[in-house]
Amino acid sequence: MFEIFGVGPLTLITFLPMLGIILILLIPAGKDEQSKKASTNIYRWATVFFTFLQLVIAVVIYINFDLSLTGVNDINGMQFVEKVRWIEVEGLPMLGDLRIDYFVGIDGISAPMILLTAIICFVATFASWSIGKAVKGYFIMYLLLDLGMMGVFVSLDFFLFYLFWELMLLPMYFLIGIWGGPRKEYAAIKFFIYTLFGSLFMLLVMIALYFAVGSFNMLDMMDPSKYDPGSLLSGIGTTWRYIAFGALFIGFAIKVPTVPFHTWLPDAHVEAPTAISVILAGVLLKMGTYGMLRISWPMFPDAVYYFQWYIALIGVVSIIYGAFCALGQHKVGKRDFKKLIAYSSVSHMGFVMLGMAAMNTEGMVGAIFQMFNHGTITAMLFMIVGVVYDRTHLRGLDDFGGLANKMPIYTGVMMIAFFAAIGLPGLSGFISEVLIFLGAFQTFPVMTAISAFAIVIGAAYMLWALQKIFFGKLPDRWKGPWDPTGTKYKHDDLNGIELTALVPLAVIVIYLGINPNPITGMMTSSVNHLIELVKAGGQVAAGM
Amino acid sequence: MFSVEANFLDQLKDSIGLFLPETVLIATFLLSLILDLIFRKSRTLTGIVTAIGFVVAGICLIGQTGETAFIFSRMLVVDPFALFFKFVILLSGLIVVLMSFFSKELYETTEGVGEYFTLITGMTIGMFLLASASNLIMIYLAIETMSISSYILAGYTKEIRRASEASLKYVIFGAVSSGIMIYGMSILFGLTGTLNLFDINTFLLSNEVNMVPLMLSGLMILAGFAYKISAVPFHFWTPDVYEGAPVTISALLSVASKAAGFAVLIRFLKSAFIDPTLSSDVAWNTISSIDWQYIIAILAVVTMTVGNLVAVWQTNVKRLLAYSSIAHAGYLLMGVVVMNEIGIAAILLYFFAYMIMNLGAFYVVMLIANKTGSEELDDYQGLGHSAPVLGVCMTIFLISLTGLPPTFGFIGKLYIFSAVLDSGLIWLAVVGVLNSVVSLYYYAKVFRNMYFRGMDPPKEPMTFSYGSMILLFLLAIPTVLFGVYFTPILAWAKSSVEIFFG
Amino acid sequence: MNIGLEHYLIVGAILFSLGLFAVVTRKNAILVLMGLELILNSANINFIAFAKYGGMNIEGHVAAIFVIILAAAEAAVALAIVLNIYRNFKHVNVDEVAKLKD
Repeated sequence: MFEIFGVGPLTLITFLPMLGIILILLIPAGKDEQSKKASTNIYRWATVFFTFLQLVIAVVIYINFDLSLTGVNDINGMQFVEKVRWIEVEGLPMLGDLRIDYFVGIDGISAPMILLTAIICFVATFASWSIGKAVKGYFIMYLLLDLGMMGVFVSLDFFLFYLFWELMLLPMYFLIGIWGGPRKEYAAIKFFIYTLFGSLFMLLVMIALYFAVGSFNMLDMMDPSKYDPGSLLSGIGTTWRYIAFGALFIGFAIKVPTVPFHTWLPDAHVEAPTAISVILAGVLLKMGTYGMLRISWPMFPDAVYYFQWYIALIGVVSIIYGAFCALGQHKVGKRDFKKLIAYSSVSHMGFVMLGMAAMNTEGMVGAIFQMFNHGTITAMLFMIVGVVYDRTHLRGLDDFGGLANKMPIYTGVMMIAFFAAIGLPGLSGFISEVLIFLGAFQTFPVMTAISAFAIVIGAAYMLWALQKIFFGKLPDRWKGPWDPTGTKYKHDDLNGIELTALVPLAVIVIYLGINPNPITGMMTSSVNHLIELVKAGGQVAAGM
Repeated sequence: MFSVEANFLDQLKDSIGLFLPETVLIATFLLSLILDLIFRKSRTLTGIVTAIGFVVAGICLIGQTGETAFIFSRMLVVDPFALFFKFVILLSGLIVVLMSFFSKELYETTEGVGEYFTLITGMTIGMFLLASASNLIMIYLAIETMSISSYILAGYTKEIRRASEASLKYVIFGAVSSGIMIYGMSILFGLTGTLNLFDINTFLLSNEVNMVPLMLSGLMILAGFAYKISAVPFHFWTPDVYEGAPVTISALLSVASKAAGFAVLIRFLKSAFIDPTLSSDVAWNTISSIDWQYIIAILAVVTMTVGNLVAVWQTNVKRLLAYSSIAHAGYLLMGVVVMNEIGIAAILLYFFAYMIMNLGAFYVVMLIANKTGSEELDDYQGLGHSAPVLGVCMTIFLISLTGLPPTFGFIGKLYIFSAVLDSGLIWLAVVGVLNSVVSLYYYAKVFRNMYFRGMDPPKEPMTFSYGSMILLFLLAIPTVLFGVYFTPILAWAKSSVEIFFG
Repeated sequence: MNIGLEHYLIVGAILFSLGLFAVVTRKNAILVLMGLELILNSANINFIAFAKYGGMNIEGHVAAIFVIILAAAEAAVALAIVLNIYRNFKHVNVDEVAKLKD
């Protein structure tokens, strides 16, 4: 393990944004136009700098990552581990000695998520270029959000995990609420209340697990032999364990989101500024499924087996319902492009649920790979909407047409994103979906067959949107240049900043479509270990 | 009958030694009263004297660490439990005195603020006595000492109509509830033949007592305490008084007098009604067959639910904070429901957190009212941009009141929920969690108005004095700091759960 | 007829009920305060009666004296506050002092 000033890479990657926050706080916003403009540029580039450093560290971690180690419940299989005693109070009444560790480390499940977070946060900075008001506050909140997300993926102590998990809520609330669209207040508070509702149940389960195990160490919580026999959650297949699993599941399912907890998502996406939509879809949604893989699955294997069919059902319902809602955006409502992508997210995250419920290597690897791919693809899609929205302040499906002639590069990039979202072979989305279908078909043949139908709907709504926006006749009002004065947009097509954001993602999507090994290879040994662990726990329960 | 014990004088001497913090406060009270008469013109002298007196009393309190003793013929108890509450009371009193120096409302609408500080000292003495009272008459005396001072303080800005209305409501509701309480005490006295809590306990252990009058008297006494902690259904005064009274006094009532109320509630239940001979694992070995735990649990649920739900509709920030303080009384009562050592430790921890964050929130309200002259939610629009420091601090305090990490309020909630789950009352924990979600909605309304609304056109930036900002940071920084590193407070709360048994 | 403990307790209970009734129904602040005095005195009667008939110690008498003293103090403060209300509102009707909404 490499260290810088005695600080490990995971601490570094998590707390780098803090340095950025302090730097931005120290630079005054300025009073007159000139200094305001200068400070805005400093804020932007400072954020670019720190997110780029994060990306560099993530790549270094990726290069040094040992593919053979398993992790999950095995401390020796965890990589880049740092463990420092953080809170220690001895002889507490009833609780005994309270010990909380600053305990971070990664395995094959979290490593792809670290990489994803670093990539998305870096490119989303460029999507933040159009933020005009209160730029200082925006980038502080942005970096705080970044910190919280990284923290969630590296934590191996439940208390730490919960701290980071909740830390994200507040910046997200302000990012939607201050810099969002017309119904921002509603969207922001809806997001806040939904997620808080879920996470408070998670808190109760966390406390109950603490009473059972006597520490907040997640690895201890995965070990049935560490459970105090008299506690509420000890034993296998008890009612309280099912209830605790259900409470945790609700907490995570709200974040994913799956039907029926998804209603906050379209509102949040529609109102959030582009960069925040990108982060929301790219990283935040993955936290729900990541939480399940990190916490629910290994800690409650008996409950996972018990509810396996229902989890798959929730996945399939999300897939179909999300797809139909996305299709419906062509006919009903405001025909909002962003809303269409939001519902397609519900559908795609449903695939992740289905793959996770399948409980075999193909399904599980497919699920994690789908998390990664959905992150990159949907990030592209939201940025693509952001490009036209910045220019016209419109994003209705019917407001455009024939953009292919006006913006050829843009159309090229968006074709990649659209086809990847549909799952066209040769692009990354195809591989993960195929893996999920292969895995899920072994366990739930009928449900998988039904969900495959969603691919057709997905192709329909995506191609329809493609046709409406990019082909056909260009409306008269868009005939001239976007910006007649030429101050903001010199060309009609993508500018340098937008290309910097979109091209890396497009490259990733294409490359992983041809060779998925760089990502799938990372997770295979961990996923196999996780499946063995869950199966072992589940079979004990089944044998009873 | 009346007799002097042999070593009475020695006991008295010891008692006076252990009564030092209170003595310091009484000296401060007298000194500030006299100084106010001599230096009529000075508007800060009594305040400074009071603050110094509080600091000295605090130093004397530190000297009492670890002491456990009966003093003044078992009228008062000195124990770590009382000590913790005395610290909370003293600290909040000190912060309120410091806050008062910056209050425009106080200095511009009254002729002199001398008596104001003197009365705060008087109230603090009453609360000190209440925290360590172990005799029904002492409890009554202490409650009245504290109440009479606070009746006047609530209406201190007497030219303002709403303040005088607040003090009228406070005095009528307060006097009636303490009247009901003393009637209950008289019945309990008749049943047991003594006024000392420990003797009541001994008597109930060894004798059969008629249940109906015992229940009745217990409920009547609880009504008196419930009034002080503003638990539903004795909360009607809270919103009116908090809205009408000067902000500083609302802050003091919401923290210090609540702390004293909880101290006496816990001591009364624990000393009088719980069997001390049985294992401390099972907290509620009540002597009689009356299920006090169930009664308190109902009280907790109703209190937090009513407080949170009504708060949602409020348009005045002081009133909103009043209902929020009712809801917090409900959360704290969950700890009383548990009542074992972890429950009491949780209450202590929560109280410390509640003190910092609630005083902070009231302080921001006061600073804003100084500039805008309004406490209405609508007038908070755009304040996050014209007064960014205040906005950030207010957000921190409100987030802490909601109980989100990484703030001190989260640690407090975590412990309360841990205590409740540990005792197996899962339904109660779920109710508490749902209430927290509701509370987010109305706390968010405050910072929503500060940040999301009123940005165009931008308001003039507000400036505040350095002194007032330093006090603000002294409240805001611990709120976050103790949220990520709470070892010292937890260790202190742990060592303070010991309640003295005779 | 022998007058025993019960009689005193009944008188106390009646006084308490009357006091509470007055507090709840009266609109005039002064009358409310008078109801309050009844409540406090009912407690006094109880204390004294228990001390006398219950064969108990002096504590009951002491308690009664304290209650009387505190009642006086409380009445003084309450009357001052009512006086202030009169200055501000020109009446002392509790129901109409309702500038603060519920």
